[in-house]
Amino acid sequence: MAEDLDNIDAFEAKETSHKLPVGWLILFWGLIIWGVYYFVTYSPAISGWTQTKAYEESVKK
Amino acid sequence: MSDYQYDNQTVKGFIVSSIFWGVVGIVIGLLISIQMWKPETNFAPYFTFGRLRAVHTNGLAFGLGVGAIFGLSYYIIMRLAKRPLLFPKLARFQLYLFNVGILLAAVSLLMGQTQSLEYAELEWPIDLAIVILWVMFAINVFGTIIKRKEEQMYISLWYIIATTIAVAVLYIVNNLSIPAGLTKSYHLFAGVNSANVEWWYGHNAVGFVFTTPILAMFYYFLPKSTGIPIYSHRLSIIAFWSLVFAYLWTGAHHLVYTPLPDWIQTLGIVFTIFLIAPSWGSVVNGYYTVGTDWSKMNTNYLTKFFIMGITFYGLQTVQGPTQGLRIVSQLIHYTDWVPGHVHMGTMGWVTMTTAASIYYVIPKIYHTEIYSEKVANIHFWLVLIGQLIFSITMWITGIQQGALWKATNADGSLKYTFIETLTKNYPYWQLRTVGGLIFTVGMLFFIYNIYMTIRKGSLAEAKA
Ligand code: HEM
Ligand code: HEM
Repeated sequence: MAEDLDNIDAFEAKETSHKLPVGWLILFWGLIIWGVYYFVTYSPAISGWTQTKAYEESVKK
Repeated sequence: MSDYQYDNQTVKGFIVSSIFWGVVGIVIGLLISIQMWKPETNFAPYFTFGRLRAVHTNGLAFGLGVGAIFGLSYYIIMRLAKRPLLFPKLARFQLYLFNVGILLAAVSLLMGQTQSLEYAELEWPIDLAIVILWVMFAINVFGTIIKRKEEQMYISLWYIIATTIAVAVLYIVNNLSIPAGLTKSYHLFAGVNSANVEWWYGHNAVGFVFTTPILAMFYYFLPKSTGIPIYSHRLSIIAFWSLVFAYLWTGAHHLVYTPLPDWIQTLGIVFTIFLIAPSWGSVVNGYYTVGTDWSKMNTNYLTKFFIMGITFYGLQTVQGPTQGLRIVSQLIHYTDWVPGHVHMGTMGWVTMTTAASIYYVIPKIYHTEIYSEKVANIHFWLVLIGQLIFSITMWITGIQQGALWKATNADGSLKYTFIETLTKNYPYWQLRTVGGLIFTVGMLFFIYNIYMTIRKGSLAEAKA
């Protein structure tokens, strides 16, 4: 019996094959921007924040 | 026998082996879940929790997971490359070596041999065997893809290639160690470095064993079983590259609030949160694909497996990144919340998607139909219910545990002793065993269905 091999065209929808949903794009870029913010805020060399300092402050309270 | 038939039998061999090790691993999972609330069920020295837990994790990740990945990747590659495997005999030999390797691995763990690195417990002689096994796999993957008869490469092939390369690099680097005899070795990296390398490996084991090859199956078998093409090729490609790029930076989220330098933790968290986007790229693509015809959920029995699988993948990839945040990690780290997360992924996403792919492949290999869709539906509901019980009980008790550990009196002393926080887990651990039992019964329905399909297929072939 013949093997059924694949026709690549059957896997990719024609009309929508280049579409990127807007909501997803917002998520994608939003998370990159958030990442920059978070890295700056929580890097000892940039913002001076350290785990130890944060701990000491939390104990003082 | 045609070339394809020979390779199909190899594929079937991997699938059956994978199911076999799956049964072993799941039964041990049930036993260790009982051992946690009923210590008398530990049988020293071989069948104690400490040793069996590693047999459970390795047996299921490498036996069930990798076995299915080998077999189904070969199936997918042949069809997308429009040719048989380049080295069919090598693949067959790989199948035998795979089973011998897993057997030796299980025995060595029962004997108590371990490198003491999670998911990398196996000692160096077995590591060497695994590397050889992986090289054999890589030769056939790359060989067959290079010599392919279809120029375009569908997204599943990219995911298989990424799996092949990443696992090799991760496995070799994390297992570098200095042997001290046949059954003992010391990690090449020491202290914090050892931890950092270990979790770079550990997280990417999740990324390149429990994610990328499963996505390869998802992208291949969803269109095959529903007949609906994937919504957006571009989305799948962008999600692929950003996923493999980001994954490799995220291991540090397992080491939040440890002596690992603050900036490494922060960098790990940044990439961890970013991972939501590429992960959800596949989730959205899956929903939009089936979204063009939701009636497939009723008319095609496999659709719900894939949609439920990708839904749990979607939940995992929001829950996981959230766990990486410092504020969440400080509550749930070291608690039972984490096994709750783990099993939603392994039972709900990995096992669900793999089982559906096997349901598709086995009848195709035998040119027949599945033995019973009804049995498949029973399987679906049982594993779904079992898994939900497992995850939900562990979430509840995990949060409770974290909160009790953190509770302090006015003078700063701890409110609860450790044993008090531990015994509160018992009812939840017992419920988890019930969930595990339901899941196991579901898997038995699956195995019965596959067995009957193979039997039906072989009988028909014998007659023909
Ligand atoms: C009947 C089904 C199952 C039961 C009862 C079960 C039970 C357990 C138990 C009791 C643990 C130890 C948790 C702890 O140390 O606190 C565990 C860990 C684990 N199991 Fe399962 N399991 C099952 C199915 C699976 C499946 C199908 C997979 C993979 C495909 C899997 C993968 C794992 C992994 C990776 C861990 C380590 C988790 C961690 O370190 O946080 N399990 N399981
Ligand atoms: C974007 C995706 C994901 C991210 C960012 C992520 C993140 C995390 C984090 C932060 C932890 C550590 C929790 C702690 O110990 O405090 C963890 C544990 C774990 N996750 Fe995920 N997760 C993701 C998806 C998945 C998926 C799909 C699976 C599939 C099975 C999975 C399996 C595991 C396992 C096995 C562990 C336990 C590791 C251990 O032994 O401690 N994760 N994950």
